[in-house]
Amino acid sequence: MAEELPERQTDIGPPHYNKFLPPVIKDNYGKWAYHEELGPGLMVHVSETGAKVWTVRVASPRLLSTASIRDICEIADKHCGGYVRWTTRNNIEFMVDDESKVEPLMNELKDKGYMIGGIGRRISNVVHTQGWVHCHSAATDASGLVKAVMDELHEYFHSKELPNKVRLAVACCVNMCGAVHCSDIAMVGVHKTPPRIEHDKVKNLCEIPSTVASCPTSAISPDPAKKSVKIKLEKCMYCGNCYSVCPAMPIADPKNDGVAIVVGGKVSNLRKPPMFSKLAVPWLPNNPPRWPEVVDAIKRILDAYIAGARKYERVGEWIERIGWEKFFKVTGLEFKLQHIDDFTFARETWRMQATFKWTD
Amino acid sequence: MALKHETPLLDELEKGAFPSFVKEIKRAAETAENPDFAQDLLGQLELSYKEKVTHWKHGGIVGVRGYGAGVIGRYSDVPDRFPGVAHFHTIRVNMPAGFFYTTEALKTICDIWDKYGSGLTNMHGSTGDIILLGTKTENLEAAFAHLSSRGWDLGGSGSAVRTPSCCVGPARCEWACYDTLEATYQTTMRFQDELHRPMFPYKFKFKFAGCPVDCIASIARADMSVIGTWKGNIQINQDEVRNYASSGLDIQKEVVDLCPTECMTWDGNELKINDEDCNRCMHCLARMPKALKPGQERGATILLGSKAPIVTGALMSWVIVPFMKMEPPYEEFFELVERIWEFWDEHGKNRERIGELIERMGFPVFLREVGLEPHPAMVKEPRRDPFYFWTEEDIEK
Amino acid sequence: MDKEELKKVIYEMVEKSMGKKKLKQSDILKKVSAEHGVDKSEVKAALKELLDSGQLIFTYFGGSYIEIPPKEQP
Repeated sequence: MAEELPERQTDIGPPHYNKFLPPVIKDNYGKWAYHEELGPGLMVHVSETGAKVWTVRVASPRLLSTASIRDICEIADKHCGGYVRWTTRNNIEFMVDDESKVEPLMNELKDKGYMIGGIGRRISNVVHTQGWVHCHSAATDASGLVKAVMDELHEYFHSKELPNKVRLAVACCVNMCGAVHCSDIAMVGVHKTPPRIEHDKVKNLCEIPSTVASCPTSAISPDPAKKSVKIKLEKCMYCGNCYSVCPAMPIADPKNDGVAIVVGGKVSNLRKPPMFSKLAVPWLPNNPPRWPEVVDAIKRILDAYIAGARKYERVGEWIERIGWEKFFKVTGLEFKLQHIDDFTFARETWRMQATFKWTD
Repeated sequence: MALKHETPLLDELEKGAFPSFVKEIKRAAETAENPDFAQDLLGQLELSYKEKVTHWKHGGIVGVRGYGAGVIGRYSDVPDRFPGVAHFHTIRVNMPAGFFYTTEALKTICDIWDKYGSGLTNMHGSTGDIILLGTKTENLEAAFAHLSSRGWDLGGSGSAVRTPSCCVGPARCEWACYDTLEATYQTTMRFQDELHRPMFPYKFKFKFAGCPVDCIASIARADMSVIGTWKGNIQINQDEVRNYASSGLDIQKEVVDLCPTECMTWDGNELKINDEDCNRCMHCLARMPKALKPGQERGATILLGSKAPIVTGALMSWVIVPFMKMEPPYEEFFELVERIWEFWDEHGKNRERIGELIERMGFPVFLREVGLEPHPAMVKEPRRDPFYFWTEEDIEK
Repeated sequence: MDKEELKKVIYEMVEKSMGKKKLKQSDILKKVSAEHGVDKSEVKAALKELLDSGQLIFTYFGGSYIEIPPKEQP
């Protein structure tokens, strides 16, 4: 039985944000004078009009059931006049317009097991991708890595302070659907072996010219005899771009897929310009459900940062000051051939100076 | 009704202090109207954890009629074992700018998704859309009819404008140098066709950040990064500076000494800023929000080109317009965007992002064709080599 | 050229290209416009009708293309 559907609309765009602003936000839009951080998950913004809005921030796993969204709504209905906000890093923000409403809100959140925090010089929630939950090109799981790492580092979300913010991110392959390439510490799923060509399928599923063109190192060329393509294996750097355009070139390899760790990126312009993340660990095994090798390496990097960084230094600023050679020494991470760039920006990264620190 | 699967590996991730995504999937498996999706998702995910490999097939041709974006087709490669996720398509719903919601609106979306999908979501996807995670092909049109009739449209995907997104902006931040929410909304509305009906060589992302702190990571994640900035002097309230000092902030050490342009002095009583040398990095403002405010002539710097490392390495956006007033009706901005798209349409190869195209063709060629004047703010330093081009009119005949 | 005729031209172009080269929306706009001297906006309007009626669909394989819908979903 076909059900009666409402009339579909197209090209209407999103609802105007104005409909969703709490009254205190709407009334003071563009009039904010300053803010103060009052705790790990609490801040107050003060308007030129004298009005104030208190924001309580809690963590979410990003993947939410509608049942949990309804729970969040219930709290927002009870304490926040039916308004709630999300941050770009998957946190939930509850806002109230009177100081007397802060404590009951925080108490209820605590009672219900929400983790309050993520504000200030701490680790906020982790930007991440779909991983094995929903992605066809994932070289690792994203949600699982986030959970494993944050279960170890959660104190830096809800209580302990750091020299500055540390932005973590996880991308489940080198497509990097999160801002992994500019995060303080990030994990990225990587392959170690070339794609396999399923010649019988190439004909039906793939366009040969676009498959050839997709390869950044020109490792792929047509194979007219097979009506397929061939790969110069020594030229392949396992990016998986060919698989994106040609499903008959699967690259996933359970024994060899793993996780790389990149560090020292930032997007803000505070003090130093934005920085790219650079390679700290080329490969660690996929070891679900808790990825102990990855968690251990992240903790080592974070501990070295805590021990060595000056107040307000982001991870990248700290490393720039002490030098990358010293970074490998203080973290105990091994420097390998894979750390030396041989790709697009390689020349800029070699040391063209006789000054460096002894680390042996 | 799908079988309940044993999930010893995933169960491990229900433990620990941080919120658990496994608990969320299990909750949907127990409470959702269509629990088979979540139930078999658990089964398939457990298999991935065991075998260390994804079990989603590549691509898929699904969507809602007339649109080429907003739905991500997904099929299991083990549908016989997990029929509940044989189809597990995602619907991207364009979120409201700034991520504010009424609970009423959220509950409406939940109701629709409970009926036509898995009851699982991402709040939000990396680009910012509300992600409705997992449904069957035959539910797509119905879900879309219900969503759109209640005022919700789909977001971007594929070679289209991706859902524009912004920081919290003037809604709750004193540093916003232009209205990021309104700019996001107007840009989204202006380019509805380009968002729903892919027509570009590849994706195009807009992100609107209110100031150089860039809480939306626009410089790293948007083809077009619009970052708020100002001209003129930082507004100083000397009394508040002294209040910060007396309440324990070491202004010399924590503010002045960390200024990258060394444009400030502090004599224990007065903070002086040589604004001509300030590059607006925001460090001093971030340390003393009560005392320092951006200058009064406000607008944005427009940067272009950032992308993740696929394929020839990561790019950050670079300056193409040092200063633009970002005010409704945004005609100057939209015209610039359209000129950039014409350049891309004319020269871009399949899957070539705008930043990669400019690298290939040369930044000067881009500036000439798009009609932008060279400005020293566009480069960190001038070129090192002597191999530059001249045009006909530069040559004496 | 009237709209129905234009729709036929576009449909045939996509049909002829199937299995050889996937066409992007901009390929179609450029090609039809150049070959038949019609403004791109007219081509676009005709193409939109073909898409809205489901005679043509968008597909995605690492990029977005316009194709004739397959007889069966995979």
